[in-house]
Amino acid sequence: MVKTKSKIEEEIQAIFNSDKPWVTIVWDDPVNLMTYVTYVFMELFGYPKERATELMLKVHNEGKAIVSTGSREEMEHDVARLHEFGLWATLQRGDQAL
Amino acid sequence: MGNFATRRSSTVSEQAGFTRHGDNAFIAQFSESEREVLINLAGQIIELLSERADHSDDDPLAAMVGITSHDSPPDDEVLLRLLPNAYADGVDAAEFRRYTESVLRNKKKAHAMSMRVLLKSASDGGIEVDHENANAWLGAINDIRLALGVRLNVEERTHDELELLAPDDPLRGVYAVYSWLGWLQESLLQALMDDSSNEVN
Repeated sequence: MVKTKSKIEEEIQAIFNSDKPWVTIVWDDPVNLMTYVTYVFMELFGYPKERATELMLKVHNEGKAIVSTGSREEMEHDVARLHEFGLWATLQRGDQAL
Repeated sequence: MGNFATRRSSTVSEQAGFTRHGDNAFIAQFSESEREVLINLAGQIIELLSERADHSDDDPLAAMVGITSHDSPPDDEVLLRLLPNAYADGVDAAEFRRYTESVLRNKKKAHAMSMRVLLKSASDGGIEVDHENANAWLGAINDIRLALGVRLNVEERTHDELELLAPDDPLRGVYAVYSWLGWLQESLLQALMDDSSNEVN
C-alpha cells in the first residue's frame, strides 16, 4: 500500500525525534514569590493564569513540577529563559524518573 | 516558594509601590534613600556577574558566539544561584554551561543595567516603565533578592527567625531590604496582572 505523504512525514519526524520527549522541571525555591513564578509561567510559556497558577502551586506543594515538554533543544531554550528570570530549572529526558 | 502575604514585614512602607496607568505604563515613586539602595544593589549584581570574566580573550571567535571556557559551576554561592546548572548530570551541565553561561550573564547584567540607568536618570524618584521594561525590573529585583537570600540563608532559616533578628545583627538591615524588594516586586506584579484596570487611565 502506498503510504500517504503525512505518514511518511510522520516517520521522518520520528527518525529525528527518536528520543522520548524531554521535560523542563522547575524546583521550589524559598526566595521566589508565588506571584512572580505564576507571572513568569504566563510570560514565557503563554499559559493562561489558571494553568500558570496550577503549575506554581504544584512546584510549591510538591517541590517540583514539569512545566514544558518537547525536544531537547526546545527544553534547553526554556531552561535558559527560566534561568534568565531566576527560576530554578533543569531539563531531563521525559522517561527518567522525576 | 515565598508568599508575600505571609512574609509581610513591619518595614514595609505606606507607599503604593508600582501602580498601573493605562494599558502599558507602570509608575512608582521612590524616596532618595530607596533610589540609592536600588542603584547600589543593581551595581553590585553587575559587578558580581562581571567578575566571572570570560576566559575566551585568546579566542575572539569563541567569544563572539558566546562560548566561554567556564564549564564548571561558580564556587561563589550567590553566583551559583544566579547561574545554576541546567542538568543534574555533570557532563551535560558542563557542556550546556560552556555554550550558554555568558549569554545568561549578559542578559542578567542587561536587566540590572536597565533598572540602574532609569533610576539614575530619575532624580526626583519618579519611575515609569512599560511592560518590557517591567520584565527587566522584575528579573533584576529577583536577582538581587536571590543574592540577598543566599546571604540571609533563607533556605535554612524560618520566617520568624529572620523577623526576630537582633537589632544589632548586621543581617537585620539586609533582611529589611530583602523584604522591601519582595513588596516592591509584588506591587509591580499586581499592576501587570491587573487586567480589570486596562480601561482605567
